[in-house]
Amino acid sequence: METQRKFIVPIGPQHPALKEPGHFQFTVDGEIVTDASVRLGYVHRGIEKGAENRNWTQNLYLFERICGICSHVHATALAIGVERLAGVQAPPRAQAIRILMAELERIHSHLLWLGVAAHEGGFDTLFMYSWRDREIVMDLLESLSGNRVNYSVNLIGGVKFDVEDKHRDAILRGLDTLEERTRHYLNVVTTDRTFLARTRGVGTMSRNQAELFGTVGPTARASGVARDVRVDAPYEAYTLFPVNLVTDEGGDLMARFVVRTKELFESYRLIREILDHLPSGELTVRVPRKIPAGETVSRVEAPRGELFYFIKSNGGEKPERIKVRTPSLCNWASVMQVAVGHKLADMPMILSGIDPCFSCNDRMVLINRGSSSQVWSWDELRRYGIEYYKKL
Amino acid sequence: MKFKLGTMLGDVIRSAFKSPATERYPFVRKEAPERLRGKLFWDPAKCTGCQLCVRDCPSEAIELIVLDRVSKRFVLRYHPDRCTYCAQCVVNCRFNCLNMSSEEWELAATGKEPFTVYYGRDEDIQFLLEKIARENAGERVECPE
Repeated sequence: METQRKFIVPIGPQHPALKEPGHFQFTVDGEIVTDASVRLGYVHRGIEKGAENRNWTQNLYLFERICGICSHVHATALAIGVERLAGVQAPPRAQAIRILMAELERIHSHLLWLGVAAHEGGFDTLFMYSWRDREIVMDLLESLSGNRVNYSVNLIGGVKFDVEDKHRDAILRGLDTLEERTRHYLNVVTTDRTFLARTRGVGTMSRNQAELFGTVGPTARASGVARDVRVDAPYEAYTLFPVNLVTDEGGDLMARFVVRTKELFESYRLIREILDHLPSGELTVRVPRKIPAGETVSRVEAPRGELFYFIKSNGGEKPERIKVRTPSLCNWASVMQVAVGHKLADMPMILSGIDPCFSCNDRMVLINRGSSSQVWSWDELRRYGIEYYKKL
Repeated sequence: MKFKLGTMLGDVIRSAFKSPATERYPFVRKEAPERLRGKLFWDPAKCTGCQLCVRDCPSEAIELIVLDRVSKRFVLRYHPDRCTYCAQCVVNCRFNCLNMSSEEWELAATGKEPFTVYYGRDEDIQFLLEKIARENAGERVECPE
């Protein structure tokens, strides 16, 4: 029997594909997805509001907990912004240690993603082995900072610990192993026939689309968009240690695998260079407890793309407002668009292709749709609320 | 480009001849990394009672109770369950009174008692505990039920 009705497959918020909650609705015609939508916000934690009740130093640790994977870049973004407001700069050695940690974190994040994405594609062998090798970098992070996640490296005005010779040797040894393994994984994701059947030509996004949807990070770079905060607006020690941009013209899932894997090599190179030319000197600089009034924007390149912090101070010990925009939020539009035309079974792969981080991006977003904007008085709002509940 | 099948077969076969990677914890305790931030310890000798550790603690895990500021009688009440082990207090202390142990990190417990730790001179802790006990008893008397 023919029917004109649409068939919508709801997935989530709790679902087997991804570990974090998000609700997706895929309109299907047989196996083929004809429309897709996403609903976020299940793990909204009110961190930005919480920030207003904590002093600058306490916020460092609060914002580090926005993301469990890229925790260090969050703290770095905040620290850079606050230091700029205070008119100080972290000492060169502290800056270098910050980006050293950021690159180690990028390695751990990309290896984690490689495993998760392979798992979504049913390639659990790659998942197991990439995670086994990720332990090498996790151990390095642990030996440097004492923790596997939430390293707490940053202070406002510097870093907590130094990189000693024994750490340097351990890192270099670890990188040698990782480099060899990464070469193997690059070979696997570009030549394994069964895996390529899941990635080649799937979720293809042209450069124009990538620009239009405002994608960031490796997702954009896999579509040929040369966009990387480390290159476009170098911060901290990235001015001393320039980054070579990794891009790919493919735009499909395979390109995203290739870009992220090649970025690993770039991180290995960068870490070796930092360790060879680690500036000497102090680790911290004195920052006043009260940050002068003003506002600033702090941008850093997280493993998933550009991380944006808006920081406003009213001259007190506590911030007036901190606004965070994480890279995952920018990449959602691209997923919903490129999903159309693909099989339902490809959805987990396309979703994990942007390396989504749900709890990172769950923040209050107000979309101003032009004509629908209006100003309501408190009374009108109250009346609207009463009417709304009467109807229910 | 040549496409292959079973590119990871080599890894799998090699792994079959390796010994298991699992560790026999808790029977064999693995040494923690040198910089691990474990349980917090406080040395009252040099403390001036500046409260900088308390002010910057992101999780309100430490309280510095002043018994007598002039004779420097302080008691530090530490809550390991609230602590996020960030070591900001250790960094803040100018007199190196605080340090985090890399030895004591097995802090799980089934009761609540181990999660309130008192540091200080024995007589000060005794004095504080007695004071708290007196206050608690006093409240109970005032209670109408």
